Amino acid sequence: MGDLSSPGMAEPLNAWRLATEPFYQPTGDEITLFEAASARRLPLLLKGPTGCGKTRFIEHMAWRLRRPLVTVACHDELSAADLVGRWLLDAAGTRWQDGPLTQAARHGGICYLDELVEARADTTVVIHPLTDFRRMLPLAACNELVRAHPDFQLVVSYNPSPMAPELKPATRQRFCALQFGYPKPEQEARIVAREAGLDIARAAAIVAFGVRTRRLQGQGLDDGASTRMLVHAAVLVAQGLAIAAACRMAVVDALSDEPGVHQALRAALDASF
Amino acid sequence: MTTTDRPLAQWLRLLWGTAPALHLDSAAPFIASGGIHLPAQPHWQQHCAAAAHAAAHLVYSPAGFDGTALVPVARGLLALLEDARVEALAMRELPGLARLWRPLHTATPDDGNACEPLMQRLARALADPFYDDPHPWVAKGRRLFYLDEGLALLALRTPAELRDAALRLGHDIGQMRLPFNAKGYRPAPAYRDDHRWMWAADQLALVQPPPQPQPVAASAEAQARPEPDVPTPDEAGTVTRHPEWDRLIHRLRPDWARVIEPTLLPAAAAAVPAIDLRTLGLSRRLLAPLRALCRQSGARRRSPQADHFDLDALVAWRVAPPPQRSGDARVYWAPQRQACRTAVWLLIDQSASTADRLGPAGRSALQVAALAAAATARALQAMGVVCAVVAFSSNGRQAVRLRWLKGLADPVDAGLDARLQTLRSGGSTRLGAALRHATLRLGAVRADARWVLLLSDGQPHDVDVHDARYLVDDARQAVAEAARRAVRIACLRLAPAASTGGGVARRIFGARGVQPLDNLDALPQAVARLLA
Repeated sequence: MGDLSSPGMAEPLNAWRLATEPFYQPTGDEITLFEAASARRLPLLLKGPTGCGKTRFIEHMAWRLRRPLVTVACHDELSAADLVGRWLLDAAGTRWQDGPLTQAARHGGICYLDELVEARADTTVVIHPLTDFRRMLPLAACNELVRAHPDFQLVVSYNPSPMAPELKPATRQRFCALQFGYPKPEQEARIVAREAGLDIARAAAIVAFGVRTRRLQGQGLDDGASTRMLVHAAVLVAQGLAIAAACRMAVVDALSDEPGVHQALRAALDASF
Repeated sequence: MTTTDRPLAQWLRLLWGTAPALHLDSAAPFIASGGIHLPAQPHWQQHCAAAAHAAAHLVYSPAGFDGTALVPVARGLLALLEDARVEALAMRELPGLARLWRPLHTATPDDGNACEPLMQRLARALADPFYDDPHPWVAKGRRLFYLDEGLALLALRTPAELRDAALRLGHDIGQMRLPFNAKGYRPAPAYRDDHRWMWAADQLALVQPPPQPQPVAASAEAQARPEPDVPTPDEAGTVTRHPEWDRLIHRLRPDWARVIEPTLLPAAAAAVPAIDLRTLGLSRRLLAPLRALCRQSGARRRSPQADHFDLDALVAWRVAPPPQRSGDARVYWAPQRQACRTAVWLLIDQSASTADRLGPAGRSALQVAALAAAATARALQAMGVVCAVVAFSSNGRQAVRLRWLKGLADPVDAGLDARLQTLRSGGSTRLGAALRHATLRLGAVRADARWVLLLSDGQPHDVDVHDARYLVDDARQAVAEAARRAVRIACLRLAPAASTGGGVARRIFGARGVQPLDNLDALPQAVARLLA
């Protein structure tokens, strides 16, 4: 492993370093597990519903391990070149520009591919040589073979909701996985209170309503309210809105457009406060 | 459950995580066999009040009470106290329920001091801390029920404590010589159930659920079969006439087949089935193959930023004199990507031949078609593709009947699952008429791409046609006409793996327009091959 604090190799990734500690409330032994996998540079798959804290967790771990975190939000238009790099034009002619994955592999950082499953299959396969014993990235377009820096680690996230596309086994089986879920209500209330700067009693009331919405998962909703949504509601309350109005804006009206589900959510909100 | 009370069921699930069966079949609310029976009220708030009260019993009440040695008035009072207890617990958890229930308590001292009005006043005094009643019996009831002046702490927490309080209040009623009409008594306000669940003896008169729809026996249908060539006069719905290809005269017979389309979606079944998790998993696996429906021709365009250089553009840019060089630097090529609006008809053949099983102990072709349609509709909805689900069967050229299971604008919900479950095999397969009708309807939809996905055994047949090739050639002609109107038709042929008959389907749809399917697990692969 290289000297993480030395500016030499990691300098190109300085912009990706986290300056302050991102708040993360552990819900189990996930920090220990991540540190073990990270020590051996094993690729990691973070699984869990949307807004449960996967991205915050990886930010916290990058800060904790003092490594740059190169984040890519994946989408169905993301091409392999968007990850690996491409030729660009400048005044002197053509110039190769590393993509974020190549940058992280070349200079040693954590490359975090958020919602990998949203990327097209032909994009996903470029990570394969980096995720096994080879730890290398062939750049066919510029005829270069990048050997991954000893500090390079690949982390991807994935929300296995019923309607999300599946991760291909050939990709899935390259990763160790950490399963995330929503924290227990008391823990979630503390997180919401801390994030929004709200008192614990009102945060607990918001969380109690959020927990109710999760009962409709698979019964009209793909996912219930995420912790992120509940933090938004709490922020609105801290801003001066009544709890019911804040939950309507941040949770109920945002969760579903289906009239029947929306009617049930509105009525549950009325009953809750 | 009908589609109208689905939000109510979802609401109860949100409140307490319970999913009791809801039946809109009663003049007054009652609970039986763990299900809630409600009046078919159009008013949402009253519906909610009654459903929440009954659900609160299911959540907080014991399974039953011992009614032995209790006089009727004591039974009525014990039930009243239990009502107040579960509502107090529910309101402690969900304070907003108070706004639902309290306005429905309207009893006042003006109603008089007879037994029933007094009980209604007590019910109000226990439910509403802001209500003051001057009657000492009502005040006593409140003191027995609550420990504190603020009416927050419940004194009666066990069935024995409730029974004891009911006996004391009932004794006072006796002392006041107030008659209690046990036969005519009905708990008030009207949103409260009639307490039949509390007393074991009263549960004998349970309402039986309506019988499940029975499959139509083939022989019975044959007896009811009208003369094929005579139009049936009393068909409800829109009638559309379509031409039909006569292979012998080699031309279209105008207005030959009569397609009857009901004006309304058929009513949902009484019981909505739970979402089949297998279907959900299938839907997810279908997302990738179904993306082909939204694919447009991959035209290239020049772009200022993309993955690959357009060599001609790059050379032109490099050899251009410097003043012009900054003008057009679109030296890459990128595939043309445009959002493609697609409309799909899932057309299910429900003819008698779909009752055949696809394996020795497997599902029938119709059951596989129904599950495949549910999974595909869910996947299409997730992709934002509008889709209709329609079943068809025929009984001669005058009666090609469509059955709408889901309109293009309807959501995919448990109602669709319920309607799919009510499908029964029967009738024949006048395929050409059904395909022409789907083509006609899809032609009226604003879309960039239009598809008909047919789930059928791919064997046209009808009772008034004796030439085996006649309907095959007509269906083939219908597919060609659809192609001319930019409607693409593809068929998943539901037949056992070892069956013959694929040749007929290939003749109609072309070798690339049909894929065999004999089990649900193979659906994503079959769709992928079909749409490739």
